[in-house]
Amino acid sequence: MLQPKALRISPAGLRGIVGRGLTAAHVLDFAAAFGTFLERGRPVLLGRDPRASGVMIREGVIAGLLASGHDVVDLGIVSTPVIQHAIRRMEAGGGVSIGASHNRAEWNALKFFGPRGTYLSTAESGELLDIYHLRKFTLTPWNSLGRLRVEDGALDAYLDTLASVFDFAALRSFRVVVDCCNGTSGLILRRLNERFGFQFILINERMEGVEFAHEPLTNSRTVSLQLAPLIRPLGADAGFLFDVDSDRVAIATDEGEPLSEEMALPMLADFMLPRGPGKIVITNLSTTALVDEIAAWHGGKVVRVPVGRQATIDALAAYRPEQVALAGEGTGAVMMPQFRFVYDGIASMFAILSMMRERGQKLSEIVAGYPRYSILKGELPLVSKQIPALLMELQQKNASGRINVSDGLRVDWPDRWFHVRVSQTEPVVRVICEQRGEPPTALFESLLDKVRSLS
Amino acid sequence: MARREHQLKIGVSGIRGVVGEFLTPALACAFAQAFGTYVGPGRVVVGRDTRASGPMLQHAVSCGLLAAGCEPVDVGVLPTPTIQIYVGHTRARGGIAITASHNPPEYNALKLFNAQGLFFNHYERSELLDLYHQTEFRQATNAEMRGLSRDYERPEKLHLERVLAHVDAERIRARRFRVALDAVNGAGSRLSCRFLKDQLHCELHAMAVDPERPFSRIAEPRPDTLGDLAELVRREHCDIGFAQDPDGDRLAVCDETGRVLDNDDVLALAVDAALPKLPGDVVVNLTTSSVVEDVAAAHGRRVYRTPVGEANVVEMIQAVRAAIGGEGSNGGIIVPAVHLCRDSYTGMAFLLDRMAETGSAVSEMARRLPRYVRKFGRAPYEHGKLGSLMQALEAEFPHAIADRSDGLKLMLPEGWIHVRSSNTEPLLRIAAEARSEEAAEALFRKTMRLLAG
Repeated sequence: MLQPKALRISPAGLRGIVGRGLTAAHVLDFAAAFGTFLERGRPVLLGRDPRASGVMIREGVIAGLLASGHDVVDLGIVSTPVIQHAIRRMEAGGGVSIGASHNRAEWNALKFFGPRGTYLSTAESGELLDIYHLRKFTLTPWNSLGRLRVEDGALDAYLDTLASVFDFAALRSFRVVVDCCNGTSGLILRRLNERFGFQFILINERMEGVEFAHEPLTNSRTVSLQLAPLIRPLGADAGFLFDVDSDRVAIATDEGEPLSEEMALPMLADFMLPRGPGKIVITNLSTTALVDEIAAWHGGKVVRVPVGRQATIDALAAYRPEQVALAGEGTGAVMMPQFRFVYDGIASMFAILSMMRERGQKLSEIVAGYPRYSILKGELPLVSKQIPALLMELQQKNASGRINVSDGLRVDWPDRWFHVRVSQTEPVVRVICEQRGEPPTALFESLLDKVRSLS
Repeated sequence: MARREHQLKIGVSGIRGVVGEFLTPALACAFAQAFGTYVGPGRVVVGRDTRASGPMLQHAVSCGLLAAGCEPVDVGVLPTPTIQIYVGHTRARGGIAITASHNPPEYNALKLFNAQGLFFNHYERSELLDLYHQTEFRQATNAEMRGLSRDYERPEKLHLERVLAHVDAERIRARRFRVALDAVNGAGSRLSCRFLKDQLHCELHAMAVDPERPFSRIAEPRPDTLGDLAELVRREHCDIGFAQDPDGDRLAVCDETGRVLDNDDVLALAVDAALPKLPGDVVVNLTTSSVVEDVAAAHGRRVYRTPVGEANVVEMIQAVRAAIGGEGSNGGIIVPAVHLCRDSYTGMAFLLDRMAETGSAVSEMARRLPRYVRKFGRAPYEHGKLGSLMQALEAEFPHAIADRSDGLKLMLPEGWIHVRSSNTEPLLRIAAEARSEEAAEALFRKTMRLLAG
């Protein structure tokens, strides 16, 4: 039956292990709360990833939204960026994405979008949560309930937009291998092959509801499992891996080298900053310092915010769109102004391919042009009550560095930094250390020992 | 003190209420999850009538069933008997019909069926209710989660085949009956046209057969709500007129003169048509007219009486292996050879078959029935009122034969009196019947006087 730590209700939405923490009752109430929160009059869009539990959640979300008087448009199985794109295109009142992104198959989640296809701000999510907790939902009378319709043109309309931003004719000759992680990217890439003559070679292409070929994380480890070994035998120019809802990307070079998940953002910064006008790169405190160095090459500036989608969304709202070159994190989640600041793994892939085309360089050559940074990441079980003391002690011990306490503790020295924080999504303490050049092994181990000594 | 009309009722008959603030999707979902937990993982058929709230509630019900690890089979908009027959035929774990039957359009409800497509019996219903209140539902994990399937083709076909197996369809077709139909824009709208026109080759004059439109009249098919049908029968010179309720289980009949028959007489005609074809006795509720006894006696069969409520009649039909059963006043005809459920299609088929066989007009068939006069009344429920009325009645009629299985029914030489409290509304219901207008009026008046104290 129900088990602890299998449900999280936060400004990022509703997330949990289905049947263990996340139940139909949560879904119904959250949908009714969102229906109460949104202004009536324009339809609400809905899409899901292929997880088996997605059907149950879809039914609940539809019921809750119809009952609160909203017309619902079901886009079927689509990636999260496609939903966000459709919200803008159809001038919808908002949207819901059902899918647990990079989490294992037993998880599922609801993500909520406002009328412009953007994630809700912290203030808006706070209001949504208050409605949810109060359970005072505005349900409409029997004769003014919403109506459901199904729409299957969302993917093609999204691809039309991609085609208008990127030079597909120039890019389609690339030989690219993609690990779809049994998620929604398979749909998108197959359609790109059909409609635009791309030559994507797909693995783990079949959408699965119960078991993915491997954990759908976008990092160098998952890239190394199946994707990277295929690159050289297939003579591919690059390899990409997407999480289940295709908002994140991980990369392998033409030499079959899995890149660190930290690389997508610096590479895209290198590509986007010279195109102007935006000079600001928004990223979180855990992301590589390589992005600062690359930004400096182009006269750009990095704004660091706490980890988590919410802080990035809020930070974006503090700037005019034309000030920002891109925003993202060291997880392969990057948003670009052409795509209205939506995390979009597919668009990120096209940006990297465009970069290769424009520079006439192989992916491995582009990567070789960057200084080497070594990042170490670890996680340890969380002992919540000891965290403040731990952070205070670490701060005192590392007084020689520049201190940032906006999310746990980050300490910076020239060429070296560490970040110790509590995860928002899992009950763990995360420790991240980075150094220009060789790995900062001694610092990393000492930090891990320190955290370990608490438990 | 009189109680307010219930806008939500959760009880042994399931969940029913006014959609909006009262019957919410969360409640429907939780009830469906309790149901899914009770019947176990497997296919559960889900259909609905044409109420505006049907689609919303169907999504909520599917959500609850999926969460319990069941596979909802969506059969769309269908009459309740069609859903029941399909459940039994396909050996599903159970079925849910989203319909508030004859209640007004703002209401909706869940009707719950077991694997045989029958209403849950009393014990099953209270077990399910306990499960609902306990809220310890089966919670399927992602790996245990099933999908949604749909079957929009087979259920209707299956139902009509079942019904037609028990009548001489060729004989009916040959007559090319002129038939008027009022389907109240309900779940029977499409199927009834198909049945009467395509299957039975009637010349159909249909009204209110658009399932997209709101109910065209008061949902309950009674003489006082069927003026338009009567008008249609007269205008088009029809041989007969049929009216259904929104979920197609109840039937009302209008004769060729435009007179809407008393529902007890319709049942009596159906009994008269069925008994020559089928072995077994007859089961009706306590409030049904004695005309059924006379008709059964003419065929050498006996009549069993049960408390009011379809489930009670069905249970007794099963127990005594009856040929036919029903509840007179509410237009329910149950032929177990077709399925153990109220079915307006069985009623239509048997009546048309009888007309084809005898060549008689409906008014003539009705006129040949023994004549009884019935009087009905109602009063707001008040605590203790029924008990005092029962005592007063027994004192007034010390020599009557009494049946106390549902309120009190007193059998007298000149007729009977039945007083009971409604299962679905906070009301006392009073009925009296006798051979003549005067006698019936006298019994009814006396009862109402005793009620007034």
